[in-house]
Amino acid sequence: MRVELAPITYWRHDLSHCLHTTAGVLLGFHGLDPVEVLGAAWGFYYPGDVRREEYYFPGAAESLLGGLAPYHAIRSRWHTPADADEGWRQVRAMVAGGAPVAVAADNFHLPFRPAYRDVHTNHLLAVYGFDDRTGEVLVADPVPPAFQGPIPLAAFTAARDSQNPVRHSRDLFFTANPIGNRWLELDVGAEQPAFTADFVRYVLGENLRGFTAPSDDTYRGRSGLSRFLDDVITRIADDPAAVDEAFVVLGPVLAVTGLHAEYLALAGRRFDDRRLYELGRLVDAVAHDWAALRIAVATCGTAGAAGRKSARHRAASLLAAHDRALSAMADAAR
Amino acid sequence: MMRSALVDLSTHHDNRGLQPPGTDGDYGFNVWRNTFPAEELPPPGSTVTVAGVPFAFPAPAAGGDNVRCRGQRIAVPAGSYDWIYLLGAAERRTEDVVTLHYADGSTGTAHLRMSDFWPQTPDRFGEPLAFRTSAMRYPRHTHADHAPSIWQQRVPVTGPGELVAVRLPDNPGMHVFAITVVADPEARHAR
Repeated sequence: MRVELAPITYWRHDLSHCLHTTAGVLLGFHGLDPVEVLGAAWGFYYPGDVRREEYYFPGAAESLLGGLAPYHAIRSRWHTPADADEGWRQVRAMVAGGAPVAVAADNFHLPFRPAYRDVHTNHLLAVYGFDDRTGEVLVADPVPPAFQGPIPLAAFTAARDSQNPVRHSRDLFFTANPIGNRWLELDVGAEQPAFTADFVRYVLGENLRGFTAPSDDTYRGRSGLSRFLDDVITRIADDPAAVDEAFVVLGPVLAVTGLHAEYLALAGRRFDDRRLYELGRLVDAVAHDWAALRIAVATCGTAGAAGRKSARHRAASLLAAHDRALSAMADAAR
Repeated sequence: MMRSALVDLSTHHDNRGLQPPGTDGDYGFNVWRNTFPAEELPPPGSTVTVAGVPFAFPAPAAGGDNVRCRGQRIAVPAGSYDWIYLLGAAERRTEDVVTLHYADGSTGTAHLRMSDFWPQTPDRFGEPLAFRTSAMRYPRHTHADHAPSIWQQRVPVTGPGELVAVRLPDNPGMHVFAITVVADPEARHAR
């Protein structure tokens, strides 16, 4: 039996990683614009649930892809098969039934990844077909170097069944976390909100409320963001694990911020609204601060006290840019 | 007639991102320790022209071959200039402020925007491509057909007076390989 689902198209935002790119590929299959869906939400929430996964998203363990798209009828569910055979049977059945899925995979076993036979890491990619006769699986992975096509089932299985061990003295951030043949089922509702000026205004209002509403969560909203940055940069001085934590958490926050800037630019074009263009540029500037802070944090270990000072400086710059964007957002949401 | 002065960055080099084949050691342009294949880039210490502007392509110094931006104050040959040109690349695109220091002690600021070096990632800020290698190095191998970029940035010098130094941003995601300051009388007359 051979199955090749279509359309499967390349999609990537340059500040995103495998979580958003895989979600974008799957949403595209369902006829949805990834920027309209993945770019709507902008907020901050970190419940301390960091995991050593390239596709980690704070606070969205149950419905990972739903966490990316809270304004849309999008849900996802992790499946945790007992072993590799069951893992392949389940994925094959879903794809044979017409639904592409996402699978966790260790790049060490994927022939097209630069980490092949070198570094273990916990990655995510889309599966859109298979060929029983040739023993191949069709996968889509827009993360550079982008790949879409067949790989041997044996390599695919090894990647999914990997223990993802630390192999070298310091394999950064996403190792030592078994892959476990996990795969992600996506549920896309039949009814999705239309991308209209009113809907964008509603989204802006909700995002703003998310940043400003009082919360019992320590690390939620604008005040929680400030607390998180202060706490994690303080901990970096004595706890090297805090560097990894901050780097992993900041990755999806950077991606979401960049995507929201793209969303606002798209809305500005679509509705000929200059305020949305300008707001998009302010949010993009926040993304650029996130990019700087993430590297400042990651290099703290080698830069010592100067590195921590740099991280504090970057955090202050980011919060100032953030407040400028939120102020403009309040105007645009009216 | 455009007049330019090459700026010596060698004493500020603090990162090693241009890696000859078959070498190991303290290389690592980004936090993942990827590097550019040095054999695909201009000879160390040579003068190269990018989009009409000459640059001193870095030769390896004690600290490396590029400057990871941490607020370094870079002295430039004193003079009246219109533009600061850079060869740079960032770990994810980013933007920041540089501080311009003049001979009379006054300062000004200007924005520096720098695109990502990562393969298959276009420029974000309209920068001309300076160099793109065909492969990218990893700590234990070189990955072919995986092409990282170095871009050319331009920062305006809008204040009057003699420029004597530039303070780079405290933004360690930004890397600078070369700086050239340029006086462009035609542009000056236009303003």
